[in-house]
Amino acid sequence: MKRIATIVFMLALVAPSLVAAAPSKKAKPAVAPIPLEEPAEIAPPNDLFEPINRVTFAVNDGIDLIIVNPLVALWNGLMPSFVRTGVGNFFNNLDDVYVGVNHLLQGNGSRAGVDFERVAVNSTVGIGGLIDVGAKMGLQKVDGDFGQTLGVWGLPTGPYVILPLIGPSTVRESAGRSVRVMTDPRTYLDAVPSYSLMGLEYLQTRADAKANEGLIAASSLDRYVFIRNLYLQKRSLMVKSGQTQH
Amino acid sequence: MMSLVERAARIGALLGVLLSAVISTSVYADAPAPDELVRKLAAEMTSAVRSDPELQNPGSLKISDFVQKNIVPRFDFERITQIAMGRNWAKANSAEQKQIVTEFSKLLTRTYSNAISTLKDLDVEVKSTRVMTPNADVTVKTQMIGRPQPVSIDYSLINGPAGWKVYDVTVEGISLVAAYRDEFAGLVSQSGTSGLIDALKKKNGG
Repeated sequence: MKRIATIVFMLALVAPSLVAAAPSKKAKPAVAPIPLEEPAEIAPPNDLFEPINRVTFAVNDGIDLIIVNPLVALWNGLMPSFVRTGVGNFFNNLDDVYVGVNHLLQGNGSRAGVDFERVAVNSTVGIGGLIDVGAKMGLQKVDGDFGQTLGVWGLPTGPYVILPLIGPSTVRESAGRSVRVMTDPRTYLDAVPSYSLMGLEYLQTRADAKANEGLIAASSLDRYVFIRNLYLQKRSLMVKSGQTQH
Repeated sequence: MMSLVERAARIGALLGVLLSAVISTSVYADAPAPDELVRKLAAEMTSAVRSDPELQNPGSLKISDFVQKNIVPRFDFERITQIAMGRNWAKANSAEQKQIVTEFSKLLTRTYSNAISTLKDLDVEVKSTRVMTPNADVTVKTQMIGRPQPVSIDYSLINGPAGWKVYDVTVEGISLVAAYRDEFAGLVSQSGTSGLIDALKKKNGG
């Protein structure tokens, strides 16, 4: 999410120059409200595996309730917030390497430059990534991954998928994710450090988001569909911004 | 790598923050330009929350009062519902339409109201305005600052007899109203317009 925030932040920086002069002073009320244009038929999302997905979704919920939530509570309770921020920053710094590579693969060299500059600054001055010095210098973190790269290259998402433990994905994003895992040096560490590092990252990202999950539950009629929609909107936005940024 | 559910969840939370940022003015005698309106409302709202500890307390009655009085009138819930329903809107009769608008606005208001308490530590900055139709349809782009990363929130406003009203809020590029489309379409295709109304009522505890 931080990464998402940053993408948009970057876009927002550029936006004022692109945007026509804002209407100023007083605007006269329109004579009549503008009628809505004929709503387009919205293509239903590609959810070929919906029956299986819903089962996995429910299982993930169960695992959350029994295992993840207590762990997150413990983690939040034991660790002061600066430690949690540091851990989050540490993993973000590792991720920036991948983000940079993906921006290169997407042909977005200037953004990749910022990503690698962040890694350089944060790994050194930022004490191995624990402090996000880059952000303080105006180098904001953005999102980027191989699933997005595949999308920028023109590969469609394929059907929506709920991955065990991880949650929403698509066939394309899952392919991207497995490439990421295979190329992650942590995968090739011994089992204990490897799983510890991955577990810690998982816990930290879950902890980051926990507070907000209640709102989705409260505001949705069918949480499965609501989350699917948010996820697919987000992914399509990422691919579009990847395609237009170079 | 952040889990994908997390992303969805966080986006949801941001949707919460967003409702907080657009606020009604008690006085809008001479309708200001939409960007001015958003700026002014954000400032009023922020100072109200900061000066009143009860507005910083999620779940307090005062928050729901405040939202009813100051925020709700600034939203065009009929248009919001229309967009969320898409083609199914025209298929519903006017009594059903009215019911859906009522229940949906109740749902949105109830679930996102508490987010105003977060304005205690956040500021809203108006960045720019995109004009879709001059004097009638604009998007005011804002940023929420005060967290480690700024959050972009865009308000789509439409000008009508009662002045500018918000009909969509887009957080980090994700549209709140569009988020409901699939849900609404799914419910209508499964159990008709009445099924959607029942689901909304049930969610609202009625």
